Amino acid sequence: MTAIVEILSALFILMGVFLFLVSAFGIIRLPDVYTRNHAASKSSTLGIMFILIGTLLYFYYKHSHFDFRVVLAIIFIFMTSPVAGHLIMRSAYHTGVKMWDRSVQDDLKKTR
Amino acid sequence: MFDLMLKIALLGVSLSMIGFLYRLIKGPSVPDRVIALDAMGINLIAIVALACIVMDTSAYLEAILLLGILSFIGTVAFSKFLEKGR
Amino acid sequence: MSFQILLNVFLAFIWMFLKNEFNGSTFIIGYILGLGIMFVFRHFFNDRFYLKRVNAVVLLLLIFARELILSNISVLMAVLKPSLDMRPGIFAYETVLTKDWEITILSNLITLTPGTLVVEVSEDNRILYIHAMDIADKDEAVDSIKNTFEKAIMEVSK
Repeated sequence: MTAIVEILSALFILMGVFLFLVSAFGIIRLPDVYTRNHAASKSSTLGIMFILIGTLLYFYYKHSHFDFRVVLAIIFIFMTSPVAGHLIMRSAYHTGVKMWDRSVQDDLKKTR
Repeated sequence: MFDLMLKIALLGVSLSMIGFLYRLIKGPSVPDRVIALDAMGINLIAIVALACIVMDTSAYLEAILLLGILSFIGTVAFSKFLEKGR
Repeated sequence: MSFQILLNVFLAFIWMFLKNEFNGSTFIIGYILGLGIMFVFRHFFNDRFYLKRVNAVVLLLLIFARELILSNISVLMAVLKPSLDMRPGIFAYETVLTKDWEITILSNLITLTPGTLVVEVSEDNRILYIHAMDIADKDEAVDSIKNTFEKAIMEVSK
């Protein structure tokens, strides 16, 4: 039983690390702020959630105590990271950062 | 086996930290840097969680909560500052 | 809704007094039994049975988790594609939701949808401006927002 939980925990942590690498790669590669924010705000969130679930499982099978602080952290990050992404996006638009020159549509421009 | 996996995981997280650092230094605009800083805060949480497993202690798990709150508040403050408080 | 929860706690306390055991497990058993009694008498309350709302909240959380995983797969595809051939853009979306917290939850959900991110909410809270990674997916995104998310949020707030 503990072997299964150990493999599961290792799998979760490796998946989270892979998502982190994808997010870093996207932040380097994508062309403008708006598309970079897609990579940062989505992949990092799921990556940190996977790593924390892996940590939770590890402490559960190793010391058999269920740590509620980690659950609290998962819930908190899940709630706040979309808000942070939206705020950065808004401030980028209002400070007049240019969109990528291959962008095709901008409905927000008409209203201002 | 699990130890090797932990080493690989720490290496991967550190590599992605270097990627964010590149964007933090180079980033053409200020929001770029804020995005990189936010992602680095989340990355730091992952490093603390992995360090907890390596050292086999649950003493640092409070730091996860604190780092999460601080990085969120930092991002909100930066974006409010960029919009001049609107 | 708060009245029904209060009544349920009251029934649980009555069960504790009847059993003459004052601990957590007796309270939980009494709560479940009281839930059963209230389920039988649900037509006598003025508003909906509160378990329906709890069910809607759980459904909303499941939608959140599913969208998070789907959006990660789509970002992964976009980042790892050898050529950057997407066409990003901002489109306007008119929402039917009115309350502040509903719009907050809807914009959080949109942020987690594959390839979309909220840029700005208009002054009168009616139009959301959404940045899409690939404008070709716009119709699909609007469709899923209209038919899945808004319906699930309205199910909670009804």
